Amino acid sequence: MRGFTGRLTGWYLLATLSASGAAPASGIAEGQPFPLIALPALDDGRPLSMADFRGERVILHVFASW
Amino acid sequence: MPGWHDATRELQREGRVKMVGIVQEQHADRCRLFMQWKQLDWPVMVDSLDLLEVAVVPITVLIDQHGIVRRVARPRESPRRTLQAFIDSTFDPPTGAAPSTEAAAAAARPVLPELERAALAGTPEALRAWASAMVRFGEPADLTRAVAAWQRALELQPSDGHAEFRLGVAHRMLYDSGRGEAADFSRAVARWERALALDPNQYIWRRRIQQYGPRLDKPYPFYDWIGRAREEIVARGETPVSLTVEPRGAELTGPARSFAAVAPGAEPDPEGRIQRDPGTWIDVQATAVPATIPPGGSTRVHLEFRVRAATQAHWNNEAGAMAVWFRPTTGWRVDRPAVEVPLPAAATSEEVRRVEIELQAQADATDGVLRAYALYYVCETAGPCLYRRQDIELPVQVKRGRGR
Repeated sequence: MRGFTGRLTGWYLLATLSASGAAPASGIAEGQPFPLIALPALDDGRPLSMADFRGERVILHVFASW
Repeated sequence: MPGWHDATRELQREGRVKMVGIVQEQHADRCRLFMQWKQLDWPVMVDSLDLLEVAVVPITVLIDQHGIVRRVARPRESPRRTLQAFIDSTFDPPTGAAPSTEAAAAAARPVLPELERAALAGTPEALRAWASAMVRFGEPADLTRAVAAWQRALELQPSDGHAEFRLGVAHRMLYDSGRGEAADFSRAVARWERALALDPNQYIWRRRIQQYGPRLDKPYPFYDWIGRAREEIVARGETPVSLTVEPRGAELTGPARSFAAVAPGAEPDPEGRIQRDPGTWIDVQATAVPATIPPGGSTRVHLEFRVRAATQAHWNNEAGAMAVWFRPTTGWRVDRPAVEVPLPAAATSEEVRRVEIELQAQADATDGVLRAYALYYVCETAGPCLYRRQDIELPVQVKRGRGR
């Protein structure tokens, strides 16, 4: 993960894309259900999806360590 | 992300919000190391294939108890203010709530035999579903079948950027696993370039190329944080998470604003008198990332040298160093005309040797071939150890008429 400058770059990029009309994610839209896709858990590979967190308020970060 | 983590610390402790992550990287275990370093313990899912079809990261998404996206946080949005509005407009979770049947079904491991049977019908959709399930939840040996399934899907339905990208991811996984071929890296890069040509606004795909690409194209060094992270983890008395593939070369180097070309010096074998290795003892794989560049742009050339098991070859490290000499054609420049490869301490060895250099196409460059030769000492088990030369040629193309 980048430092503060790198994060700004990421956000700037997101801002640029948003301003140009490009969507940050085609399947994620406000007011719509979050896509339910089974993905491997990082720690042990077991299947997880956002359905596992139903009933909870979730702050979801889609990210990369660079 | 850290801003959100700090803003939600108390709410997390009280159980009023749950932090979750989805990581979009080729090598997910590097994220495990990052989480350990930053002491983040929330659940993270791995989406190396970009099944979410995210075009850029980072994104922060606020999701309510019913799984509805309430907010996709905007750049520079105040986490505290957004969070307060989110809390005020949603309900605290009930204690002891069990996951719904729907949740259990959605999170279930895909049944690979069922998906394989469905793929026999030969529709692109079924082939893609089977391929992606094999990569996520299959055995390492399934990677080859996943590649074949995506290739077939692309034959049936070309111009599918997502399938091109995912096929590239699978090729790189094969390469890293040691189960594939050295050429799987080049195949991955080719697929990612085709995907990006179909959708140049897809920054997750672009980052995969930049990870291995030249300094002029890099937004930042991708994995320079790893050394610092390990030091701090060890200083805390912990053992850093081990990585299946250590980042190297292009993955560690930083961006540059201009190309620092170096003029070639005197060659060690200008008349080509050193006896050749036609590839009998050492196999050379050359990959340019990207393979096609605009005028003025650059590419990073990855060369890999592997001893051939078939001829029982091995390196000899006693007599002298290994070197690679590059001879760019007119219109092309290199950042290093010669590279000397460090040798291990052992008298003989069989390791993979790697060299990376960068190549720039000047404004008037045309498609060409990067010519190079490697000089090394190599032995046959039942034969002599000789100083040999292997000539290398790598086609490079200039993209004209359109932007990146």
